[in-house]
Parts: sequence; structure tokens; C-alpha cells
Amino acid sequence: MPQLFSAFHSFLRRRRGLLPGVALLLSSLLAGCDLIEFSPNETRTPEAYHDLTRKSLERLQQQPKPLGGDTVRFVFIGDSQRFYEEAEAFTQSVNQLPGVSFVAIAGDISDFGLIREMRWVHDRLKHLNVPYLTVIGNHDLVANGREAYQQVYGPLNYSFEYGSTRFVFVDTNGREYGFNGRVPNVPWVQQALANPGPGIRRQVVMSHVPPHDADFDPQLVAPYVQALSSAPRVAFELNGHKHDFSVGQPYENGLTFINSYSFEKRQYLVLTLWGEKEFKLDTVQY
Amino acid sequence: MSRAFLLPLLLLVPLLPAAAQSDSATAAPAPLPAALALAAAEPAPAEPAAVAPTGLTAQPWYRPHHLLLQTAAGQGLITAGVGYTTLRGRVDLDVLAGYVPSKYSITPMGIFTAKAGYSPWTLHLGQSRWQVRPFTVGALVSHTASRGLNDSRDGKYEPGYYWWSSRTRVGGFVGGKVSRVIGHNRYGHPRTLGAYYELGTNDLYLSSIFTNLGALGVHEILTLGFGVKYDL
Repeated sequence: MPQLFSAFHSFLRRRRGLLPGVALLLSSLLAGCDLIEFSPNETRTPEAYHDLTRKSLERLQQQPKPLGGDTVRFVFIGDSQRFYEEAEAFTQSVNQLPGVSFVAIAGDISDFGLIREMRWVHDRLKHLNVPYLTVIGNHDLVANGREAYQQVYGPLNYSFEYGSTRFVFVDTNGREYGFNGRVPNVPWVQQALANPGPGIRRQVVMSHVPPHDADFDPQLVAPYVQALSSAPRVAFELNGHKHDFSVGQPYENGLTFINSYSFEKRQYLVLTLWGEKEFKLDTVQY
Repeated sequence: MSRAFLLPLLLLVPLLPAAAQSDSATAAPAPLPAALALAAAEPAPAEPAAVAPTGLTAQPWYRPHHLLLQTAAGQGLITAGVGYTTLRGRVDLDVLAGYVPSKYSITPMGIFTAKAGYSPWTLHLGQSRWQVRPFTVGALVSHTASRGLNDSRDGKYEPGYYWWSSRTRVGGFVGGKVSRVIGHNRYGHPRTLGAYYELGTNDLYLSSIFTNLGALGVHEILTLGFGVKYDL
């Protein structure tokens, strides 16, 4: 053993440039890799895990629409937090479905608000044949999660148009902000839902916490529900947080709320929309 | 009965100097406590030779044994610390303060870490000044201070809604170190400058893998860090 070490040592001595060279090579190899982490709460992310919402929307607009007319079909699920095994099975199941344009995930992508969790989820969902789109959940806001989500996915409030439908995704996790009266951003919601163009047959809102939940800012329940019910052609609101399916009209205005299964339930909804407010719900087990 | 536990002390008798043994022989039958009293009266052994393993010399508690400079491993972009070596150089106890700038956070983070590492073997490379600690296993606890960090337990929810703290992490690691003797310190012990690595994980990553065995790979939960350690 000592002979081995001294041989190794004399080898090192003869090649003085070797050690710094190897160190440089190693550090450049490791710089782009997950292993190097300054803090679990850091918000640094490689380009492949950055700006995913914009990338998904670009992919969505480029792909041919699978169903004709004003019909649009997408998969709806929520709360992928710490259900990695289920995320793999979910991906395989969705990839066998015909006519689906995208997957909508109603928040709580991560459990601890850590950026590495968001990368773990994307590592599984990136194998979907269609793009997936997310809205932020309360768990995604823990620690540095807000910034981590913005780095990995993008804006907390955003909207897009696809398949004769305008989708409005909004941060409603008021309790995470200490019920500061600004989340959800009701003026933004009003503006996002205003004046749909002639090609827009319906509007769909998605947020994590539904307004009829204790984690929704109580002072904003009435203005938020009012904003949705007074906007033109809002078909329904999609939510997560409760980890189970429900559909109902909890307010007198007749606005429909649909809550998603969580990943752990090993079930998801397939939503097919046509006309102004017509829709069909199918449950798929995986 | 109460004296029974003293019996193993008989093993100490052969260690007594010859004079002490003959004294106790003349005072026969010498009771055991007398022999022990003699042993206690013996002068303390001479001050340790320069070959004594690092960490055995009595040093003022406030004088750390080494300085550290480190990056990554979840303890900061740039991290500095001090530490103590004990148990014949096998155990290092370190405290570190790390910094992560706001470029990688909402507001800058200060990460304060206490860690203990156990290195059972130190190999000397032939006759050279190089030493290798091929294996270290350790544990750490850290606290993150950052104004913008959203607390998980500050009363926004009912107690227990989030079971973990967003600021305190507990972790474990394995590692290794290569060092070189560069002179001697004030006690005559060899002074080394060494480079080490740490491959570790934390409680939240472990909790993620334990609920997803087979679905989340071990390589996905690992963190790596590097540092240098300089003996004072």
C-alpha cells in the first residue's frame, strides 16, 4: 500500500500541471450539474429548467390542434408535490390519450418550495407528448419558492388563448402573503378577462386555492367572485388544493368550480369544451 | 457491592512505577485504595512529545484548531468557518457561516452551519508530506437567515400545517480529504493544508426519496461541496 501511494506521489510530482488541470476540468463539468448547490433554497436553475411556461406556450401554439371546430380537450390534475412515482405513471397514461392539447396542473408543483423539487417534477413531465402548464400553489411559495417558481416556470399570473378559449391562470394563495389584500390581484383578473375577441368562445380561470376555501384571502372573496361572474363567457374555474375531485356551484351566481384530483389519487380529469359553456368531464385512472 | 466497580482498577496496578509497587508491598496487606492514592500522587507524565496525535494537547478552548473555506454543499456560495479536532484527529467539529447573494435568492442568504465529521483513517503517502483521509462520514445542522425567505412556521397556518422549518436543515454527508504538511504549529504538531469534498443530502431530500423509493434516484438528491482546511 505505501509503495502504491509513493508511486502515485512521484507521478503527481512529475506532472505539476496535472492537479490544477483535473480540478479545472472537474469544476467545469460540475458547474452545469445538479450536484453543486449553494443552498436548497437557491433560485439558480439551468436553461433546460428555466422559463418553462413560455416554452410550453410556444410549443402549444406551434402544434396542430387535434380536434376540429371550437372543441378543445385538455387534462386537468393538481398537487404533484412529492408524488414522483405517480408523476411517471401519469405521464405514461396521458401519452396514450387521443385528442389532448395540453395538461393543466392546478398548483403545488413542489412540497417544500424548493427549486430542485420543481426540476424533479419537470424531469418526469417533460416526457409528456403535449406541453404542460402550471399555476402556483401555496406550497410553491414556501421559503424562496416564489422566486424559484418564477425562475423555473415564469409569471404567477398569466393568460393565453388557445382553441377558441382564453385561459387565465392566477395566484390565489392569499394566506401565504399573510392575507395582505393584494393576492389574488383582482384588478389584474378583471383586466385579463375583459373584452374577449370575437374568436374567443369561452374563458377558463385556473387557480390553486378556490375562493370558498379558508386559505383564500377573506376580504377578496366577494370582489374576486364578482370579477369572474361579471366577466363575459366564463365557463368555469379550475382549482386544486383540496386533493380531490369536486364540481359545484357554491355561489348564487351560478359560476361552476371544478376541483382536481391530486397526483396521489392516481386519477385525473379529461375536460372537453365546446360551445360557450358546454363541457364534458371524464375521469381516467392510472 | 459498592466496591465491586473498583475491581477493574486493579488492572492499573502494573502501570505503577516499581517504587510504588515496592512501597505497597512493605505495607502489606495494602488495601486497594492506598495503591490508588499512590497512583494519583504520581507526577503527571512529561508534556506530550511532538509526535502526539493532533488534538491531544490541552489548548485554550477558545483557540480553534483549523480554519475552513468552502463552497456549495448547501452551505453557501462562499463559506468560511473554524473548527476543532478531537479523538486523536478522527473527529472534526466545525462551525461555518456561508453567503448566497440575492442573484440566487429573493434576498441574500446567510447560512450558519454546525457539523461533525468522523474520519477513521489517515494514510500517509510513503515518506512524503502528503496525507489522505479517504473516508469521512458526518452530520450537520444549518440555519438560513434571509429577510425575503417565506417562513413555514410563523403562524400563517394552524400549527403543524407545514411540518418542516423552511430555515433549519439537518443533513448528512460522506467525504474525503487530501492534505500536505506545511511546517509545524506552536505546539510542535504538524500543520497541514488540505482540500476536501463533501457529498451529502438533507432532511427534505431524504423525505422525498423515502416516499418515492425506486422513482427518485439517489443521484437526484445528492449535493456536492469543496473546501480547504488549514491547521492553526
